[in-house]
Amino acid sequence: MLEKLIEIGKRYTDEVEIYQINSFSSGVSFENGILKDIDSSIQSGISLRIIKDGKLGFSYTKNLLDPEGLVKNAVDSLKGDIRVEFSFPERRELKVLNTYDPEIENLTNTKMVEEGQRISEILSQATNTQINVGVVKSVSEIRIINSKGVDYSTKNSSYMCYAAAMYPGSYSSISRIIVDKKFKEFSKEDFEYITFLYNNSKKEVKAKSGRMKVMFLPTTMYVLIWRLIYGTNGKNVYERTTPLIDKIGTQIFDSSITIYNDPFNDSLPGARAFDDEGVESRVLPIVENGVLKNFYYDLYYGSKMGIGSTGNGYKVSDWGGEIIRVRPTPALEHLYMKPGDKDFHEMIRLIDKGIIIAQALGAHSGNIPNGDFSIGLSPGLYVENGEIVGHVKDAMVAGNIYEVMKKVVAIENKNYVGNMGVFPSTIFEDVSVAIRE
Amino acid sequence: MFDVLRGLISKVSADYVDIRYEKMSETKIVLNNREIFQLGTNTGDGFVVRILKNGGFSSVAFTRIEDAEKALKICLENAELISKNSKKKVRLAEVEVVKDTFIPNLKEDPRAVSIDEKLELLMHYNEIPLKFENITTNMQYTEVVREKYFVSSEGTEIREDLITTGIRGMLISRDGSLVQNVRVGIGGSDGFYRLRNREEEFEKKTKIVLDLLKAEPVIGGVYNVILNPDMTGVFTHEAFGHFSEADLIEDNPSMRERMKIGAKLGNDILTIIDDPTIPNQLGFYKYDDEGVRARRTYLLKDGVLVGRLHSRRTAAEFGEPVTGHCVAEDYRYPPIVRMGNIFIEPKDKSFEELLELLGDGLYILDAKGGQTSGENFTFGAQYAFEVKNGKIGKLLRDINISGNLYKTLMDIVAIGKDFELSEVGGCGKGQLNIRSCHGGPHILVKNVVIGGVK
Repeated sequence: MLEKLIEIGKRYTDEVEIYQINSFSSGVSFENGILKDIDSSIQSGISLRIIKDGKLGFSYTKNLLDPEGLVKNAVDSLKGDIRVEFSFPERRELKVLNTYDPEIENLTNTKMVEEGQRISEILSQATNTQINVGVVKSVSEIRIINSKGVDYSTKNSSYMCYAAAMYPGSYSSISRIIVDKKFKEFSKEDFEYITFLYNNSKKEVKAKSGRMKVMFLPTTMYVLIWRLIYGTNGKNVYERTTPLIDKIGTQIFDSSITIYNDPFNDSLPGARAFDDEGVESRVLPIVENGVLKNFYYDLYYGSKMGIGSTGNGYKVSDWGGEIIRVRPTPALEHLYMKPGDKDFHEMIRLIDKGIIIAQALGAHSGNIPNGDFSIGLSPGLYVENGEIVGHVKDAMVAGNIYEVMKKVVAIENKNYVGNMGVFPSTIFEDVSVAIRE
Repeated sequence: MFDVLRGLISKVSADYVDIRYEKMSETKIVLNNREIFQLGTNTGDGFVVRILKNGGFSSVAFTRIEDAEKALKICLENAELISKNSKKKVRLAEVEVVKDTFIPNLKEDPRAVSIDEKLELLMHYNEIPLKFENITTNMQYTEVVREKYFVSSEGTEIREDLITTGIRGMLISRDGSLVQNVRVGIGGSDGFYRLRNREEEFEKKTKIVLDLLKAEPVIGGVYNVILNPDMTGVFTHEAFGHFSEADLIEDNPSMRERMKIGAKLGNDILTIIDDPTIPNQLGFYKYDDEGVRARRTYLLKDGVLVGRLHSRRTAAEFGEPVTGHCVAEDYRYPPIVRMGNIFIEPKDKSFEELLELLGDGLYILDAKGGQTSGENFTFGAQYAFEVKNGKIGKLLRDINISGNLYKTLMDIVAIGKDFELSEVGGCGKGQLNIRSCHGGPHILVKNVVIGGVK
């Protein structure tokens, strides 16, 4: 069917590319120990890109009932006069990755319900507060074909489980996310992490505004990293809206910080040997020992900058938009920060006075291009003399990543899955905290 | 279509079944500076089925009609699994059976306007900021036409269309390594006319993004503030609205306890309403995605909690009347409880009176993203002015507000007599709602925490 689509496309244009995705997912959710929902989804879709006389056309559909119509839509869009300076890539020998574990097929909803119940019970006994749990499994298949001979496929299995201990009267929580390619038990360490942080911070405490040490957890590091992702995105380099222009090779962060994109790490779900444009993946250092190393590009922006794609062209859509509806753009889908040398408990002992940001509010507002952040704490755990004494409410932490990330106190010796990547907890010095007293 | 949908669900043996089919056509033109990045019209479609059996309620979304049988089987199994494993039995509140087709009346149908003309209009507005060399723009035209068909085993059959158009964008200004940005957005759900003759909006925002390069960053601390209608709307949505959504607190006993009907949550002067039925505003719809007719819902009256937003499931659970607020983003999702059009009811103060009452503080304008965790919320503002002795002074940047639900509503001490509703929306509670509308008058709020680097 897809081959036929390529044929039809070739009748009208010089180059054709098809992106097809089929996915199945199933999730169960528990609130306060009660099984609340089980939702499943069976989705598919096709995007088409064509290049004719140096112009790009784009179309998509959910159901390929009318291949001619899909091609016609792409041809119609050529009037957008979108000039491109690239061709679709040619076929290469790709790295073989292990992205699919057939055991995922044996993971029944019943088993996920049992795991959710088990986690709810253990945590609820250990913390004496409301526990929410979500367990999701999914399998997706992506195939990319183009008129230059590329025909790549990848099948991915993924398992995700999160558990959260909720502070009474709110949705603030201490949470941990685990992921794998197949079912993975929530471990003793995961339970202890949530229990330790929640039980020690139960009490609401008052604290004074000022500048102090601030620790971001793996689940809140994204607040900072989001600004870096923006700052190094090839689109923003091309449009000159990032403060990092001309900064390659210079020290932008503390020398203890190394951040890189590694699509080949197939110990976690979603590893990719090729991106959403059929370009071969590669490991890309972004920041090495505090020095800015690379910007990342897709075919479109990479060719505009005369650099070419770095294998980072992905169909990404903010706020969970449907990916087949968008053209690929530069994206860091496999981001990691290198762990440091301190154990988590050692880290806390290093804080004479400061805040642990367990959950952030409003990471998406504020001046992202400039690297500024200003977040509400939900909650902020207050630390004095190396011990968590409680949590503060009505507090905000603000700063600019190009200043804050120059002053690292310590980095945890392990990294964990969070939003936007895999990060260790990190403590920064001298960060501004405003608290309503 | 109704026959097909009826046929699909007729074979299911359960207490209740419904199915929604949606065909969605999306026209999109994306401009980055003067380069067109995307242009075209495309269509997607899909089904969402929900089954209630023995108190277990579950949903499956699927794309292809040939997957219908498999999807229904999975859905039934999931409903039975919930029923077996949950102490709680889901019931759906009684509603009347409806057979209706509702196609909105548009003042100039966007589908009758050629894509060339849309592009031309977008480029015209885009040129206003681009006159300045140090401004970069990302601007897009979006038009979403949703043709929705809903059929339930109770006999309800509804077709309703939702047609949303908008031009929204980001203006980014640069001076050396300092980067500032503001958002601009126009549009609505009642026709293309809203996008014509709006140059003023783009001129105003262009001036602000340039002025921000010279503005001082706000100093972090606690301030008394006046919010403009857009900020009032986002504030109402974030600080209070989400916790009027019954599904969010249904299984959170401690929140539920605090959000009891009759609870005094706000100052006596504060009345908050959600009303999707007001014509010609972004959030308008006649029926929600469970086939329930939307109705004006008082949430807070004179500071007292008098109602909340419901799905059929939560209305039964709380023993409160249905409100018609269960809405899905598109064919990929089952509906969830959502605000339609939430606002603070205007009162009696003129803007000058509010300034006088404020004395010293900040005048904060135009929201820029917010988030809530129940008790606490934050949201950003695009810009603010210092106010001294009731006089508006210098421009300030980097404004982010944080507050506490249980305190802030008491701190609203004066309410203006003007009224304005938002033209573009985007609430991201699990799914994106581009028609999430909000607004109100200017309001005066005491003791607001503003984050700042200084």
